[in-house]
Amino acid sequence: MKKILLVDDEDMVRNYVRRALSSRGWEVVEAVNGAAALEALRTTEFAAMICDLKMPDTRGEEVIKEAAATRPDMKIIVITGSVSDISNLIEPGIAAAGFLLKPFGIDEIRDLAEKVIGKVE
Amino acid sequence: MTHKANILVVDDEEAILELIQAALARLGYRVTCAHDGNDGVKKIKAEKFDLAIMDIMMPGMDGITALGEMKKIDPEIEVIMATGHGTMSTAVQSMRKGAFDYLHKPFQPSQLIAVVERALEKRKFNDITKAIFSTIKPDELPRIIIDSAMRILKADEAFLALAGRDGRLGIEVSDGLDTPEQKAARLDLCARLASRFEADGAKAMALLENLSEDKALAGVKGIEEIKSAILLPLLEDNKLTGLIAINRRKEEEYFNENDLQRAKIFGSLVNLALRNANLYRQLQETQSQLIQAEKMSALGQLAGGLAHEINNPLSGILGLTQLVLENSDPAGQNFKDLKDIEKAVFRCKRIITSLLSFARQEKFHAEPINVNEALEETLTLCARQMELKHIRIVRDFGEALPPARADFQQLMQVFLNLLTNAKDSIPESGAITITTRPAHMGNGRDAVAVSIADTGAGIPQELLNRIFDPFFTTKPVGKGTGLGLSVCLGIVNRHSGTITAKSEPGKGSVFTLELPV
Repeated sequence: MKKILLVDDEDMVRNYVRRALSSRGWEVVEAVNGAAALEALRTTEFAAMICDLKMPDTRGEEVIKEAAATRPDMKIIVITGSVSDISNLIEPGIAAAGFLLKPFGIDEIRDLAEKVIGKVE
Repeated sequence: MTHKANILVVDDEEAILELIQAALARLGYRVTCAHDGNDGVKKIKAEKFDLAIMDIMMPGMDGITALGEMKKIDPEIEVIMATGHGTMSTAVQSMRKGAFDYLHKPFQPSQLIAVVERALEKRKFNDITKAIFSTIKPDELPRIIIDSAMRILKADEAFLALAGRDGRLGIEVSDGLDTPEQKAARLDLCARLASRFEADGAKAMALLENLSEDKALAGVKGIEEIKSAILLPLLEDNKLTGLIAINRRKEEEYFNENDLQRAKIFGSLVNLALRNANLYRQLQETQSQLIQAEKMSALGQLAGGLAHEINNPLSGILGLTQLVLENSDPAGQNFKDLKDIEKAVFRCKRIITSLLSFARQEKFHAEPINVNEALEETLTLCARQMELKHIRIVRDFGEALPPARADFQQLMQVFLNLLTNAKDSIPESGAITITTRPAHMGNGRDAVAVSIADTGAGIPQELLNRIFDPFFTTKPVGKGTGLGLSVCLGIVNRHSGTITAKSEPGKGSVFTLELPV
């Protein structure tokens, strides 16, 4: 089963994204902030990480940088509430496999996940 | 001139009052008498006089004191002092207190009339100066200038011609010229004379007589109607920007030295007033630009924070709604309600996106682009919607337009917003005319002008200055975000261009863009 790490401080967003993806066969692990995400990354292997950028403790960029260094094969999908955050991300040379601008619907995240990591067999 | 002056005579000697009254009344002036200083001041308080003639030595309040009181009540009144003693000191004192002039008793009626006429002349000039300078609204000034010219110089016709952008003179306001043919003929006359002003350094005014004998003017229609003409050049930075022509026709007298003197003073007043009006207009423009810029920057800051805060919960609403929708019976009421919620979220998303694109201050990619091409591409995008509403698109594209420096995508956004508004303003069927031309901007830069004119409902005058405000909309609730034109303005400002709107309710609106090349 393919595992996805979902990092977002907004409960409602984690709630629907997890349910949208798990109903398509993915196993979704939630992290409520940057620290929790880094902790999960140390212990578990994920096919992909869906990560918010603006969080109270760590900036999403830091989490993504760290993840890209320790897990180079993992695909990264960025979700954010403002376009300007995405343009910040381009600067440090972080390669994300996909972006979604909030608000996004369940089909959008399903389609993007499928495109990035392939369908669950 | 039908208006005759209103004059107050103040003297304690009945005989002198009667004499002065008789002399002035014969010339048609309205004369009121007062018997001492107190009485005179009371009458000035009660009624508006153009002029007072006052004795100095009077029982009770003397003339000098009364003069001071009168000037306090009405600073514009002219006062002529009459003194029986002839001492220089009282005369000097009264002049210091603001008297116009003084008369030594006994005086001849002719002496009296001469000084009265001079004083009234000054009054008239003061009035006109006041009228010209208290009117700084550029659109009212030409009419006042021409009315004043007719009055001061007792002319039969007068007009103000201003140079347009192409340098050709056009009549702005006229008096005494009835037909378009007459106006065209007078313009022809001015055009031929303009070269003389330019050769002269555009400084001098001209007095013209026997115009029909002037070879340079041969063939100008109606020239034989003019007996005597004064031409005043209007200058800005020593360049001829217009002309005032003041003419007397056949039956009248020639203009004399006095008239010329007055015309000269009048000309310099008008030059000053026009310059003031121009500065005032620039001030107003700058002011409104500042206000607009202030609004935009405030909104920009707001939008950035707002978008992030709202997009997160909005995403939750959208996602959860769709999850529940997946498990609802499409025939049920719940399904319908959830669909409405989903629609509302999309509406919010649209508003925030426009708000952000309006507020975004990031650098845009400007390159030389063909404005006609950008328009064509935009038209392709909205062709279907136009067809559905039976709207005819009329392309009046200028050939060989200079390329404008612009961001192609952003410019398309502007055109799309303007075309959508035009479409929405047309109730059933109609036309949208798109015109492109080379142009010059107010600051002298070369530009491309694009105008989009519709045959729609139009915008009431009182709303015109609000249409570029964020969230202002005339569309039904839910139809428009109220940000379309703000977005246009934001983009056009970033291009150092301008966007203006004109509208006639019931006939349609025209939006004009100027984009620097």
